[in-house]
Amino acid sequence: MMPASRERLQDYAPLIVLAALVFAIGIYDRSFFSSSNLLTIVADTMTLFLMASGVTFVIMIGGIDLSVQSVASMSSCVLAVSLSHLGFAAVPLAILGGAVAGTAGGLVSTKLRIPSFIATLAISGVVTSVGFWLSTERSINISAEDSAKSLSWAVGEALGVPNEIWLGVFVLAILSALLDLTPFGRLVRAIGSQERAVMASGIDVNRTKIAAYALSGTMAGIAGVVMAARLGSGSPTLANEFLLPAIACIVVGGTAITGGVGSIWRTFVGALIVQVVRIGMTFVGVSAFAQQIVFGSILVAAVAITMDRSKIAVIK
Amino acid sequence: MEPVLEIKGVSVSFPGVKALDEVSFSVGKGEVVGLIGENGAGKSTVLKVLNGIYQPDSGGVFVDGAPVRIASPRDAFDKGIAMVFQEQLILPSLTVAENIFLGREEEFLRYGLISKSRMNAAAADELRKVHLEVHPGRRCADLTFADRQMVEIAKALSLDGRIKGDVTILLDEPTSMLEKKEIDLLFGIVEDLKQRASIVFISHRLEEVLAISDRVYVMRDGKVVFETPAKDATVKALHQHMVGRQLHHEYYREARQAAPTAVPVMEAQGLARRNSFSNVSFTLHEGEIIGIAGVIGSGREDLAKCLAGHKPIDAGTLKVGGKLVSFRAAHDAAACGIGLVPSERKTEGLVATFSVAENMTLAALPKFVSNGMIRFGDEEKIAHDWIVRLKIRTPSVRTKVGSLSGGNQQKVVLAKWRVAGVRVVILDHPTRGIDVGAKEDVYELVRDMTAEGLAVILLGDTLEEVIGLSSRILVMRDGEIAATFDAARGKKPTQVELVGYMV
Repeated sequence: MMPASRERLQDYAPLIVLAALVFAIGIYDRSFFSSSNLLTIVADTMTLFLMASGVTFVIMIGGIDLSVQSVASMSSCVLAVSLSHLGFAAVPLAILGGAVAGTAGGLVSTKLRIPSFIATLAISGVVTSVGFWLSTERSINISAEDSAKSLSWAVGEALGVPNEIWLGVFVLAILSALLDLTPFGRLVRAIGSQERAVMASGIDVNRTKIAAYALSGTMAGIAGVVMAARLGSGSPTLANEFLLPAIACIVVGGTAITGGVGSIWRTFVGALIVQVVRIGMTFVGVSAFAQQIVFGSILVAAVAITMDRSKIAVIK
Repeated sequence: MEPVLEIKGVSVSFPGVKALDEVSFSVGKGEVVGLIGENGAGKSTVLKVLNGIYQPDSGGVFVDGAPVRIASPRDAFDKGIAMVFQEQLILPSLTVAENIFLGREEEFLRYGLISKSRMNAAAADELRKVHLEVHPGRRCADLTFADRQMVEIAKALSLDGRIKGDVTILLDEPTSMLEKKEIDLLFGIVEDLKQRASIVFISHRLEEVLAISDRVYVMRDGKVVFETPAKDATVKALHQHMVGRQLHHEYYREARQAAPTAVPVMEAQGLARRNSFSNVSFTLHEGEIIGIAGVIGSGREDLAKCLAGHKPIDAGTLKVGGKLVSFRAAHDAAACGIGLVPSERKTEGLVATFSVAENMTLAALPKFVSNGMIRFGDEEKIAHDWIVRLKIRTPSVRTKVGSLSGGNQQKVVLAKWRVAGVRVVILDHPTRGIDVGAKEDVYELVRDMTAEGLAVILLGDTLEEVIGLSSRILVMRDGEIAATFDAARGKKPTQVELVGYMV
């Protein structure tokens, strides 16, 4: 195959994998194709995507953010605790909490020169404690009227499409523009590709890196708010079990875990792939015991297909 | 003499540059063959073909007269060819013995485990050959640079006695970092080795090559241009063939060297950095090129890094454009209009996966932004302008910089700082590893820069380059300025004069 056409095919690989999976499951069970089912699957994917979208920036600079699930949980607590007092203002407050936590991770990693793996793990612990403290160690219900008043933008429906999907598509568009069209996005890619050259070009790389962590925390905060809105409660363990799937979405989409190469739409498609595999296993009737095995195998296969490993010299 | 190792009509191309052009070369049994040429002439490439790192595009490799394919360095090793690399390939976290026998651990297996005592004993034998008195169980990170070099040589020599058939050792500039004493030792080893092995020896110190070799090849621009028995050759004649021209001033565009203006752009007073340099003072004017000469350890590399903000200065004052400055990082220096063209082009100069245009605007991105968005049209336009101005050979502005030749990559680095509009350019080995033609282009560009009023600090790749380009030369020794030479047009100091202050 010509190198150029091969590269183009690699660009579309995540979409092809997604289409193949949807098609395969649909062949097995036609009801999978019903529009309501497909819409539900996409809507259910959006919180995962919101969380993963921010982490994509951190992975693009060659770092990792392990704090996002704790941050999302904490945000849900902030929202649930303050909603009855503050009304809609609780929403920006909860998101701000996420932004602060993300920024803290970035500051610890860059200013104290601690690997992001450890820095964000430590922040994750702190943030979890904050969540427990805010919620007094239990789940806090959001009343139906509060929800209707302040959270309908997250859980309602417009033009027959759930609002989560509108939100997800909106975030996809904004973050894609941020990554592809702005100097911030350009520097994110450059830092992930060759940080020393960016530094030597007279650029304050720490500013860009901290901004990436702040963005990751912000998106985790938004994800926490949407989760709380959907479930009608906030809890310090609300987003547990979301961290590894979020990272899986990014990698399955074809973004390189080593940094420099990737995009937001890839994470979007990656999230859909992860979700379709999970739901699909139930449709196809994979036994609950075998589901983790199948899930793991499909992840490996998807990454093998979607990631352009030719650009990366050493796989670690 | 029957050649034990031979290449015939070998060509090797990399994107944008023909590294070897129909090169033929042979080594006889027990013969020491010297291979000389300027940087980028193709010497190392020849050795890398013999060592299986590069595959020839055309032509063939012959061992004992039979055509062979050398697939990898391991394959070369099994065929009796071992190489000592210019850039050390010793793994610092492993012990001396583990390094010597890396990849050949099976020789020392006992019940499936490596017998450390047997490996160390065998390594001790190898170390004795190079008269290196270190314990084989020591980690290489704890050794001095010269000792690590000797370990590397011991590793290559360990081939001797381990395989049947003839042994050829390839030495790629093994002496460039060694002291006189160690060089003498190495030469003794080579003399000794001639009884059992053939040797190919690369160096750019011509006296050395003549002293040790039986036969000498001269390479230039990827071709073998001269071959002679060493006893018939003189340093002068070899040099002539090496550079392929009488040493004429035009190579460095000396006619375009203007007298510097009286406008100071950078004033250094008593600059110092602990364990590196001290008491460095100079004034750099608009349109001036100050060359800094010095051996490794003279502190000139660190000085260049400090002036560009990559490392902090411990003492002294630095003024840029008359204002007192202090740099915490490279971005502080860039904000003052100082740009460094680093010697490590691939890791510090460029983002290899970025396009030509993206690299050119990297240091000046805010200039290409309106309403928070990059103006891609303007970016492409300015990139196109500089491609034309600097004669950069690239298929398009969107081509990845990593696929260009070294010379064109270096021009992109220069363009990056021109786009950023710097006033002072620090050139750290600006012509390292690039073609001769591209070198002349770079010299031309440096003259263009000074004609436009930029000031340049130059750490040349060769002494000749420093003398040829600079308007003033600072010679550094042991971290201090040992001498200052005026190098006005037509009044250049000689290499000998400078060397006297360097060592």
